[in-house]
Amino acid sequence: MTSQVEPLYAINDLVIDLYAATVSVRAVDGVSLHVMPGETVAIVGESGSGKTVSTLGPLGLLPEGVTVDVRGTAKAGGKDLVGMASARLSQMRGAYFGVIFQDPISALNPMLKVGPQLAEQARRFCGLSHEAARKEAVSLLARSGIPDPEDRYNRYPHEMSGGMLQRAMIALALAARPKVLIADEPTTALDATVQAQILELIRQIQRDNDIGVILITHDIGAVASVADRVVVLYAGQVAEEGSVLDVLTSPVHPYTRGLLASVPDFRAEDRVEAHEIPGLPPNQIKLEPGCRFAERCEHVEPQCRVERPPLRTIAAPGTPHRVACPVVIRREGIAVQ
Amino acid sequence: MKSVLIKRFLLACFLIVAASALTFALVAAAPGNVAALIAERAAGPGADAEMIRKIGDELGLYDPLPLRYARWLASAATGDLGVSLRTGKPVAEEFAARIPMTAALLGGGGLIAFLLSLTLGIAGAASNGRLADRVIHGFSLVGASTPNFFVAALLVIVFSVTLGWLPTFGTSGFQSWLLPWATIALFPASVLSRVVRVNLQEAMSRPFATTGFAKGYTRSSVLLREALPNIAIPYLTTFGAQFTLMIIGSIVVETVFALRGVGAFFIDAIRFRDFVGMQSTLLLFIIFFVMTNLLVDIICMLVDPRIRRARSA
Ligand SMILES: Nc1ncnc2c1ncn2[C@@H]1O[C@H](COP(=O)(O)OP(=O)(O)O)[C@@H](O)[C@H]1O
Ligand SMILES: [Mg+2]
Repeated sequence: MTSQVEPLYAINDLVIDLYAATVSVRAVDGVSLHVMPGETVAIVGESGSGKTVSTLGPLGLLPEGVTVDVRGTAKAGGKDLVGMASARLSQMRGAYFGVIFQDPISALNPMLKVGPQLAEQARRFCGLSHEAARKEAVSLLARSGIPDPEDRYNRYPHEMSGGMLQRAMIALALAARPKVLIADEPTTALDATVQAQILELIRQIQRDNDIGVILITHDIGAVASVADRVVVLYAGQVAEEGSVLDVLTSPVHPYTRGLLASVPDFRAEDRVEAHEIPGLPPNQIKLEPGCRFAERCEHVEPQCRVERPPLRTIAAPGTPHRVACPVVIRREGIAVQ
Repeated sequence: MKSVLIKRFLLACFLIVAASALTFALVAAAPGNVAALIAERAAGPGADAEMIRKIGDELGLYDPLPLRYARWLASAATGDLGVSLRTGKPVAEEFAARIPMTAALLGGGGLIAFLLSLTLGIAGAASNGRLADRVIHGFSLVGASTPNFFVAALLVIVFSVTLGWLPTFGTSGFQSWLLPWATIALFPASVLSRVVRVNLQEAMSRPFATTGFAKGYTRSSVLLREALPNIAIPYLTTFGAQFTLMIIGSIVVETVFALRGVGAFFIDAIRFRDFVGMQSTLLLFIIFFVMTNLLVDIICMLVDPRIRRARSA
């Protein structure tokens, strides 16, 4: 990573509060993360840990009905998305970001044909003519691994299978030739056989187009196979981050270790059977001062409940490996920078 | 699709026969005697029992009910609806003169309800809780809870009596239609604008709306491009129901504004115990109800790609 290359999307000290009818939640509490050109960053963590809100919140892509309060910065293309006027933010969403959602069946409009939507994107954001946009759309469908793309162009979502729809969704996300692709659990709703194909497609697209990919997942296998870096979120905070190799083979944070141990087939020789992390993620409605993981942590010390553990960078060559657990770092004598 | 249409059409015909049989029985059970009425007309109040019996026999009034219904339906099918006891003219002739009047009332009112409800519903959803949304909500609450005779009186007082802009009654050109149209459209427009507003809001919270935002559309574009097509089915269904109800409204509106339509004919038939007119008008209403519903069903099938293209999947 050379210092002149700017990240494509960088969020910094992001805090996002959600106000629904009766509750307010600090869904994201001081998260920083970024993605470089040509890089795939995986975001992992239990359901509710803030993966979606932290990445899609600054884009204004949270469902209607909740009031969203965003602080911090979210820089993309030299501009800060936080506080951006809504018309400009819409333009950024269309031109700069492509988003793939978890369930393609509900994410694609049942009343709209798939192909024309792709063509529309190509026309609006790439300045293509009507004819050229149509050709581009068919080609996108083909490149997304959809057989008989000329026919699929005029199909409605209900006329395609889940796997095909997710391919169409990927094509739609790419139609405006975005710089950043955000895939929010793109395989969770799909059959196991299709999951690997979709991941492979995302990886191939990333290589072909040299875009930045943020892959939100709780599939550790997916992280290992497609990501360069991984960020572990716990209860709206970054617990650990680093290269996939560092984080998956020498995890430091007790939560990361628990998360990896709970994957049945990962590092099968070390662990005979899968371990569940005991307890539940904290209720983010009441904000405790200390470490969010303290309640479930086997290494907990009194200090953990008082002070928020800082992210420390472990001394190692290559991609920085950061961990928000001074206790394990101290106990295991891990060197920090 | 084709076989579905045929099935629906046959069902509609069955419904018309069944419902008209029911109304025939109800009207037959109503107090009053056609033969006595005719005898009274002919001989004044002094008509004797003998004469009434004779007329009744001639008309077949003492035959069993199913036989009378079958006879009536058969002649109705040939366009012979009998002679109105009130006006003395064939009911078919009355209808020929009156149906265009009611069609104009319902057509204009329906169009206004359609345009107004979509405009208000979309404007409300676009304003999303701000002032315009709340004003429109208030309007629709008032509109949906004010009886139409009261609306008619109010409109006449304001626009005819006080301002003198529009005529109070009659059919002397476009202007004279404005108050009847406004009166008959207010209730359905109010109900339908809520349907638009509520369903748009629901659609905007669905994942495909989020995809619409992700495609780079502003909220109003997402509302029109993504959410609006998705409310077509509930909207059209409710519109059909409201449109059929407008025939009931026409009874009041035609009476208040002295329009010589089918609704006014019906209320006069009731007032004068014109059983023949009543029976025929009810048949007309039933056909209107059933056919409107059939039409709405067909439009919904054409609009929804999940139904329209069910077989090509
Ligand atoms: N629409 C919503 N209404 C209320 N709370 C929400 C909503 N979406 C997310 N949250 C809350 O925000 C937090 C983070 O959610 P999210 O980012 O969706 O988690 P993840 O994507 O990691 O599963 C959770 O505590 C969740 O309860
Ligand atoms: Mg999520």
